[in-house]
Order: sequence, then C-alpha cells, then structure tokens
Amino acid sequence: MELERGKINNLHLTFLIIGFTFGSSVIISPGKGAGQDTWLAILAGLAEGLIFAWIFFTLAVKFPGKNIIQINEVVFGVFTGKVISLLYLWYFFHLGSLVLRNFGDFFTSLIYFQTPLVVIIGLTAILAASAVRNGIEVIARCSLVLVPITIFAFIFDTVFLLPETEITRLLPILELPPKDFLKSSHSAATFPFGETVAFLMITSSLNKNSISSMKKFALGGIIIAAIFFIMAAIRNAAVLGGTAEISLYPSYVAIQLIEVAEILSRLEVAVSFPIFIMGFLKISVLYYSAVVGSAQILGLRSYLPLVLPIGTIMVVLSITQFATAVENIIWATDIYPFYSLPFQLIFPLLALIAAIFKQSKAGAKKAGEAQ
Amino acid sequence: MEHRRKLFITLVLAITLLGSSCWDRRELDDLAIATAVGIDQAEDPNKLLMTVEIILPQNVSTPGGGGGQGPASLNIQSQGTTPFEAAKRLTFESDKRIYFAHNPVLIFSEEMAKKGILPAFDFFIRDPEPRRTAWMLVAEGKAQDLINVQTILDPITGLYIEQLIESTGAASQIATLMVQGFLERLMSPTTAPYCSIIRIKGKENNKSMELSGTAIFKKDKMVGKFDYKEGRGLLWVLGEVESGIITVPCEKEGNIGLEIIRADAKITPAIIDNTLKVIINITEEGNLGEQECPIDLTAPEAWQSLERKQAEAIRQEVLAAVKKAQELNADVFGFGEAFHRKYKALWKEQLKNNWDEFFPDLEVEVLVEAKLRRTGTTTKPAVPE
Repeated sequence: MELERGKINNLHLTFLIIGFTFGSSVIISPGKGAGQDTWLAILAGLAEGLIFAWIFFTLAVKFPGKNIIQINEVVFGVFTGKVISLLYLWYFFHLGSLVLRNFGDFFTSLIYFQTPLVVIIGLTAILAASAVRNGIEVIARCSLVLVPITIFAFIFDTVFLLPETEITRLLPILELPPKDFLKSSHSAATFPFGETVAFLMITSSLNKNSISSMKKFALGGIIIAAIFFIMAAIRNAAVLGGTAEISLYPSYVAIQLIEVAEILSRLEVAVSFPIFIMGFLKISVLYYSAVVGSAQILGLRSYLPLVLPIGTIMVVLSITQFATAVENIIWATDIYPFYSLPFQLIFPLLALIAAIFKQSKAGAKKAGEAQ
Repeated sequence: MEHRRKLFITLVLAITLLGSSCWDRRELDDLAIATAVGIDQAEDPNKLLMTVEIILPQNVSTPGGGGGQGPASLNIQSQGTTPFEAAKRLTFESDKRIYFAHNPVLIFSEEMAKKGILPAFDFFIRDPEPRRTAWMLVAEGKAQDLINVQTILDPITGLYIEQLIESTGAASQIATLMVQGFLERLMSPTTAPYCSIIRIKGKENNKSMELSGTAIFKKDKMVGKFDYKEGRGLLWVLGEVESGIITVPCEKEGNIGLEIIRADAKITPAIIDNTLKVIINITEEGNLGEQECPIDLTAPEAWQSLERKQAEAIRQEVLAAVKKAQELNADVFGFGEAFHRKYKALWKEQLKNNWDEFFPDLEVEVLVEAKLRRTGTTTKPAVPE
C-alpha cells in the first residue's frame, strides 16, 4: 500500500523547488560575509549546489518511484539503509524546525515584538500541518499560485529601489581573500541550494511520464531561484553598500528605504507576507518529508497519524534549540555548512556509486547467465 | 462525527487566530507619533536629553475645515544615559506610547556632534522602529531650543524641517544626508560623513529657523563646517547639484546670474610618478538667468567667454571645498573609496590605514566643462536702443 497516492508533474516540481529554495533565504540572504561580492559567492555556491543536486537527482532517476528511504534500503542493505534513513529523517525534521525558528525570529524581532515566539511558530506549523495532511499534490499546487506572487513582489520592490542604487558600491569585485570567499560560497551552496535533497522524498510522486526528464526541471528550478538571489544580492549591495554586512535581514532594510513620490514608502510589511508564504512552502515540504519518511520506516499504512505528533515536536524543538538569536547566527555561519554536508553530498554520492556498482555487477551477472 | 470534528477545528482556529492577534495590536489613538527627535547633552555629563515632538492629531487642521484650537504638536523631554533609556522614560510625560517609525528628522546638538555621536547613534540603527530614512541634522546651539520654535509655514516643526531639507536642491548649497547615508559613510574606513546644520533665526517671539551650512565629520565627531560656497563645491564633486545660481561678474559693473540646469561629476584616481592624484571631471549645463549689465551677451564671443567664466566659478567652488576638507583632514568626497575601487592591492597595503597621511597632500585637479544652453524668454538686455 502506497503512503502517498497523489501525483505531481514536472512543472509542479520546478515551482515547488523555486519556492523551497526561496524559503528562508529570502529573509536571510545566502552567501553572507562576502560584502559586495555576495552575488559572486552565490554564483559560485550555485555551481557547487548544482553538483550536489545533480548527484541526488541522478539517484532519483535511477530509482523511479522510490524515495530516499527506499533507495537507501536497496543500496546500503536493510540495516545500514535504515540507519542512514533515520539520519535523513532527523535532518528533514531539524531543518524544518530551523526554518520555523528563522521565521519566528524574523517576525518577533521586526514586526510582532510582544508576541511570544510560540504563537507565530505554532500558527505557521498548524498551517503547514494542514498542507501536509492534504498531501504532496496540494502543496505542489499551492506553489503554482504562491511562487508567482513572491516573484511579482520581488520585481515590484526591486524596480522601486532602482533610484537608490549606485553601481559603484559593487566595486571593487573579488576583494575578499579566497578562503573567506570560499567560506561564503560554500555556505550559499548548503543554504539553500543543497537543501533540495529533501525532494528525494517527493520525486517518488512524479507521474510516469515526468521521471526521465525530472533532472532538467529540478535543476532548472534551482537555477531560476538562484537568479533571483543574485539579483537581490546585487540590489542590496548597490543600495546598502557596506551597511548590508551588519544587517540581519538586508533585503528588509533595503526595502525600508523605498520612497517614491512620498506615497510608495514603508512597503516592507507588505513585502513580508509574500516572504512568509515561501517559508510556508519550505516548512511544508520538510515537514511532509519527515512525516512520510517516518511512516515509511515504521511500516505504517497511512502517514496521517504522525502529522500532529511530529509537528508538535518540531515546534518544541524550534523554540528550545536556540536560547538566543546569537546562537542561531553562530550555528548558521560556522556549523551548518559542515553539518549538512553528509546529507547533501556524502550519502547521496555513496549511494550513487554503490548503485552504479551494483548495476554493473547485475549487468555482468545477466550477461554471464545469457552465455 | 465528521461534522463535529470540523466544528472543533474551526473553533480552535478561530480562537487561536483571533485571540492571539492582541499582543501587538497598536491602535492609532494609543500612539504618539514622533515628528522630530533632538539629542542634547544633559546637565549631568553622563546623561543626554531627548526632546521629541509629537503630533496632536485633534489639533491638526484638515483641508475641509475642522481641526482644532491650540498647537498641532507638543514637545516632551526626558533624560537618560542612553537614547533608548530616555525614549522609554518619555512615557512618564506622555499617556501614549511614543512611536518613532514616522520620525522625519534626527537632530544632534553641536556639542553632542563634537563629542561624537556614535554612542547615541546605535539605537536609531538597531531598533526596528526608527527608520533610516530620517534626515540627519546638527543644530547650532541646543536641539531642544530648535524643536521648541513655533514654525508658521507648517505648524509641526519636524515636518517643516523635513521640507526645508527636501527643498535644498533649489540652491544646492547645503549637503543633506539621511541616517542610512550617514551610517554608510561612518562605516567606511576613509570617507567622512556630513549632514546639514540648522540654526534658529530671529529672537523672542519672532523665531524661525534656517539651514546654515554643512557639518563635516571625522569618524563620528564633527570637526568643521562648510559654508554655502564650500557646500556646493562638495555637491559638485558628489554629482548631486540639482539647481542653483552661479554668479559671475560682468565686464565692467554688475553681475550675471547663471542658472544650473543639470550637472554630473566623475572622480578618477591616478598614480603619477608615485604620487596620488585625483582628477575631477565636472560637466554642467546652465541657462542665462539674469544680467545686471546692459551688454549683449548673445554674441558668440561674449557667450563663449561667459561659459568660461561659469566653468571657472564652478572650479573655484570645488577648490574651496577641497581646500577646507584637506585642512580638516576629512575625506567627504570619497576619494579614498575611489582609490579603493581602482587600486585594490595598494589600498589594502598602504592607503586603508594611513589615509589620514595621504589625504591632506592629495593633488586634486578639477576639470569643468560648462555649457550655456538657453537665454530665457529674452535675448538682448532690456535697455533703450
């Protein structure tokens, strides 16, 4: 019995990946620490992230209709596979709680000062829980509506920021020592591009006609999202100059500076809501992956009983994992880029190598039998 | 069963969504909207005095009549060791919460500016409520006296000052900067911040205010002042001159006023024979605005000589600003950053940390290309033939 009967197509996949990659990166700009070279760091990070993505989407094409849990079992054997799968479940679950926390922090530190964190995170989680209960088809169709809204909002505020931009603020390029630049670009690769590894829980729901061309659409989604990040990074650097580096949320600060004819000003709250719906998409995808993966590993017939328990723990974890915002910053800049590497690169790479090896062995065996 | 469950979920959602929305609700009649913030040194040297002008909405007259009697705004004050502490203590005097998000002007007293504004500045950057689109100002004398002036053209002093600043482009003799621009310059290792200076004009019951120049900072401390001529010299280099009048003398007596239509500037850093040099190219277009002398200026030769005079006048303004800035050793023009952009390695090795030694002796060449386009609605002067 299948856990997920909904089917999505490649267009859904592209939009969902764009929304997922936007996710919390629209508030916390990727490639932090590179100053006016942030856009280059994102570009380099995209190249690295695409290598990760190529590896794990190749894996998905090799095992059509199977998610990462099933793939792990086939490739690594039942026991090792299950251990690795458990690690992945933790990763999706933890990442979901991190994104929840980022949005909670964003709203409590900028707009809702008095509102307890748990209220914002809890309400977001309830929304996501409803999406997860409805299955991947619903989440995917949401993205078809929500992603264009965000892209429109992005273009809207970028156009109105043009009078504030000064292109000389982007100079000189490549000023950072290579080591610092690589640190920034690697951080952009793991957040957000490499996080699309969560889609290994979703590509199994692609309809039959889509599977073979899936890689093109998935990588395309990542590239489209990256183009917007690069535009945002150029915009923020050209508007804020050196002050972008001390801002926790540079895009938000930049949008605050919009003043067109005294009427179009103070737009940042209006822009926060399209930002929020991207967070909803990312949380839903991660939440869904954690829930469906758990049901799979436990051999349940339906994942619905797990939605609320896992969501509740996720909310609790997201609140308790950091006592202060400073811990969150240290985690995001110093630890996360390495913490996420096994999930984004090492396990998928091992799985792919093992799969190719097994295939050629099986092929040789077949050839041997034929003789 | 299914029915009851749906009812249950609806109830839970309704209660959580509606119930939770109360934490950060801010009703307009619970807020006192700040329209000017002034920071002075308090009598106690460890404290500062914050003066805030708040709108009294009931007294603001509307175009359709109505509005009330009495002043449209009220000034309240409090002391604190930091601006945030002072801001929180404002509620001792106000029954409403002071709301800084719409504050258009942030005024530091000259005394504070000379002592250094960085300690008091952080609150206006870090706190999410005050915006970085507020204008930075230095008040000659005390900021509180300035805010206490009852302005006539706009009954709300803060909005009046905002209008003063936003119309400086007409003469382009005063450089203005918002909190964001000030912060950017403050964070640069070499570029010096600046902002407008405002002072009280008149006495006793007939007070008004005027912008009197540009305050020049070194890091966060005010070190000097640009007068009107030097102020425009600075704006020429920054390429921010919008309009204004250049006065040049006639051949014999009287003056000619040339109106600036548009201007642009380009700073080119260069290293010639191991010395640093900056070349400023200014292009300007103007119109003949007025003439006091009865000479026909529309003759080709007179016209060209007028263009040359115009260019020379601009050059002199720029040189005056450069000279003053070099005396103060404050790089308000951003020459340091221009070198940074062009000579990355040299910048890092030598200039970045020693710019104070290079800047006063920097060789500056000013090249002006000034054009005169139109003559207004007349050609020859109005004199009897």
